[in-house]
Amino acid sequence: MSDTISYLLMAWLDPGLFGLTALGVLAGIYIGAIPGLSVTMAVSILISFTFSWDINNALALMVGIYVGGVYGGSRTAILLNIPGAPSAVTTAFDGYPLAQKGEAGRAIGLSTVMSVIGGMIGVAVLAGTAPHLADLALQFAPRDYFLIAIMGLLLVSTLSGKSLARGIFSVALGAAIGLVGMDMVTAQPRLTMGSMELLGGIHYVVVMIGLFGVAEAFYQLHNMAKVPVKQKVDKIVPPLSMVLKFLPLSIRTSVIGVVVGALPGTGGDIASLFAYDHAKRTVKNPEVPFGEGAYEGLVAPETANNAAVGGAYVPMLTLGMPGDAVTAVIIGALVIHGLNPGPMLMIETPHIFWFTVGNLVLANIFLLIFGLTGIKIFSKIVEVPKAIMIPLILVLCVVGTYSLNSNMTEVYWMLGFGILGYWLKVFGFQMGPIILGVILGPLLDESYRQAMSSVGDNSMAFLGGLFANPLSLVLSSVIILVLLGNTPLKGWILARFRRD
Amino acid sequence: MFKPLLSGVAIAIGTLAMAGSAMAEYPERNIQGTIQWGAGGATDNVARSLTPHVEEVLDTTIVLTNRAGGTGVIGMNHVMRQRADGYNLLYGAENPQLYPLMGLADFTYDDMHPVNIIGQGLVVIAAHPDSPFDNFSELLEHANENPGELRMGGTGAGGLPSTIHAMINAVGELDVRTVTFGGDGPGVTALLGEHIDFMPLSLSAVAEQIRGGRLKGLAVITSEELESLPDVPPITEALPDIESFLPWGPFWGVFVHEDTPDDIKATLEAAYSEAVDSDEFREFLDNFGGAPLNLSGEEAQQYLDNWQSVTAWAMHDAEAETVKVSPEELGIPRP
Amino acid sequence: MSKKIERVQAGEKVFDWLLLLFSIGLLFEAYRIDGGLLANSAGSFPMGLALVMLAASAAILASHRYKRRDPRIRSAFHEFQVFLSEHFKIHIVVFTVVAVLYLAAINWASFYISTAVFLAAMFIYFRQGKVVSSLIITAAAIAVIYVLFTMVFRVYLP
Repeated sequence: MSDTISYLLMAWLDPGLFGLTALGVLAGIYIGAIPGLSVTMAVSILISFTFSWDINNALALMVGIYVGGVYGGSRTAILLNIPGAPSAVTTAFDGYPLAQKGEAGRAIGLSTVMSVIGGMIGVAVLAGTAPHLADLALQFAPRDYFLIAIMGLLLVSTLSGKSLARGIFSVALGAAIGLVGMDMVTAQPRLTMGSMELLGGIHYVVVMIGLFGVAEAFYQLHNMAKVPVKQKVDKIVPPLSMVLKFLPLSIRTSVIGVVVGALPGTGGDIASLFAYDHAKRTVKNPEVPFGEGAYEGLVAPETANNAAVGGAYVPMLTLGMPGDAVTAVIIGALVIHGLNPGPMLMIETPHIFWFTVGNLVLANIFLLIFGLTGIKIFSKIVEVPKAIMIPLILVLCVVGTYSLNSNMTEVYWMLGFGILGYWLKVFGFQMGPIILGVILGPLLDESYRQAMSSVGDNSMAFLGGLFANPLSLVLSSVIILVLLGNTPLKGWILARFRRD
Repeated sequence: MFKPLLSGVAIAIGTLAMAGSAMAEYPERNIQGTIQWGAGGATDNVARSLTPHVEEVLDTTIVLTNRAGGTGVIGMNHVMRQRADGYNLLYGAENPQLYPLMGLADFTYDDMHPVNIIGQGLVVIAAHPDSPFDNFSELLEHANENPGELRMGGTGAGGLPSTIHAMINAVGELDVRTVTFGGDGPGVTALLGEHIDFMPLSLSAVAEQIRGGRLKGLAVITSEELESLPDVPPITEALPDIESFLPWGPFWGVFVHEDTPDDIKATLEAAYSEAVDSDEFREFLDNFGGAPLNLSGEEAQQYLDNWQSVTAWAMHDAEAETVKVSPEELGIPRP
Repeated sequence: MSKKIERVQAGEKVFDWLLLLFSIGLLFEAYRIDGGLLANSAGSFPMGLALVMLAASAAILASHRYKRRDPRIRSAFHEFQVFLSEHFKIHIVVFTVVAVLYLAAINWASFYISTAVFLAAMFIYFRQGKVVSSLIITAAAIAVIYVLFTMVFRVYLP
């Protein structure tokens, strides 16, 4: 027991580890905020960089960057409508409208506090239930991932705004973009139009930067003359009453985040989408409608994606299996440092587990401190005249896309998606469903084919399987309930009314 | 505004000219290392743990970038299209040797210069501990009685499991359902949850799971039992004829543009050879479930040719559906 | 802008037709993957998606029956003029063209030089003069990018 406590406090008492965690969080916030610079990339650069270090030092820095980076994505999402990372896409839906109303400071403040709450709940779940949650996560068969992807697709009704047909078109378009490239099973090129460059597929960050960043820049060209909104920067730290008001919601969305994060096939991006949908379905009367600057629309994704960090560590620390791309790289770091990430990790080197837990808590505290400082300066970004901002956004998008894979072709694609996004926006299409499709399309295709192959391509056995296993039955029932009770009827009726 | 620009251009041209004339001083700037597989995978781990030792020898920085996709075609294609000045290296795995065979690309490692064949991995056929089979013979027997029922994990055409499957089919028969995953990681996860029955995997991906009792080994793809995996029988026990393909395993290597000047090739070969020989890297590779090879020059070329001919003909003889062109047409001799 | 969705915007119908054509093209491209609609193969999802897109774009076109063109727009030709004046304002066209040139220039004129020229040119153009301050902002931006990307994160820029 005393061992556990000493491991837990390791990062707190050693000045070196303490400092590295702080440095990591600070660096992570900026890495996360810049679209194209991903936490995965930063952590893999750190592997060579920290090669000769002590493993604890390397881990402390990586934990810091991870926690900071997941949060950092919300910064640019709120300020510029460019999500810094895929898990911040949903944050832009309500964060950007808030900034346009002069509430960027409040939005960042609230998202910081909520990220920390989500992060802490994630760590608590990790510390308390890791082995059980990991076993639960292993129960998810390909058909269950298929059901999760279907569930995700139902979010289209939440995200598509006024026209469901346009939403469905956008989701399918996004999924088609996600499928471009070499087929995983047969290695056939799919939708590549004979291009060699496209064999590797179109990275979803390229699509995201184009559709959000560049399209927004082009769109803003229309109101060049409009003077940017003066930002209110006096009330940045959300009052306790506000935090308490959103606490029940944030606990629910954190749990969604940590569970989705713990599943090895899904991560923070999908978690935040589910959380946003959950908020929109359960919060009946937000003060401001969703999509126009509802605080709830900010709380849900921000808690969920930070809670997913704790979740992603669950299979990593208990089984040596990655919960997402970042933990996959951290596993690599452990291997290179001569540790053996696997089921024996917790038995042979228990300090890694408790050290990580303590370190995550510390990183979240630093997140609160760094997140709440400097907001005033950041909010001023919204006040920068468009004449300066628009060219800068384009350059930022170019650098961001290029740093992803050092590939100029992807930069051209990014611009292409920017122009496409502009026209889609002009004619009433939403960007959310496209990204939803890009994220879920490959998961849907993969899990469907895995599930079909598992039952020997027998469609009846496949359909039966969706109801035969308790876990699958629960997931299927949720989908059927949502379909019957909510989406088509409500969406259809609403669409009828609005079409006049 | 033009002055600083011009001087910038002048400096750029100057450095280029210097790079052209002063070859002896190689390396005089950062080297770009392209890893043809994603972050966190086996090739990535090998590359990242070897590179710091090379940096020490060469006294420069090697900036590693992952360029995954298309079974490694994307990364290799990128390096081949860079200037042949020794500042672009490819960290690759075995896959390019089979590209023309599967119609993925028309190049192989023959179109590059091998700097070093770092090492070779071992392969284990793994199953869940609750599986009714204790070794591969039992599994084969069950599969022959119930063709097309067992679920084998795969990683797609050209991936390691598909090659092993082809080798088995070249000397015997194994009719199973193949469930394809995005890589070793998702495959092992599915195996842990009993969503598939077995999967051929690189030892580095499963050694810890086996040691922790979360998975069990049915066979190792060698002709003798391994010290590190006691009680896991060699595959020759179940299929003696497979011996003709052995020793076989996935490998990792470093490659550079074919037209790179000879003195640079020599510098790189010496540096990598020293790095692979370092105790720390040996220790890592051992722990990682790989065997060091440290081949360069003629030896490396021989190794590559032999690997290609063994694998290509095994896949051909197994009539694997992924084989688009016969090895004969490609001029690959029979082993 | 999106508030006046009940009115068909100039060019909207043409755009929706283009989407339908795009869906047909995608269907064709998906069909080529394995030449038919199979239950479990590389082409099954692309085919399915293309069909969904086709249906959705048909539904979008059908919804045009419930929408009205802006009464101020008199004819197809007038609509075309409105469309042009709305989306091809001179500064938008200039920005787009310069952006494309900029991306093309990166390959042969290095990233930093082309970015500096692009930023300086766009700042001066958008701000109608103010050359000195524009150049200062350009220099500051380049410096930040250099420190952040080249020095700290060691991203290799062309």
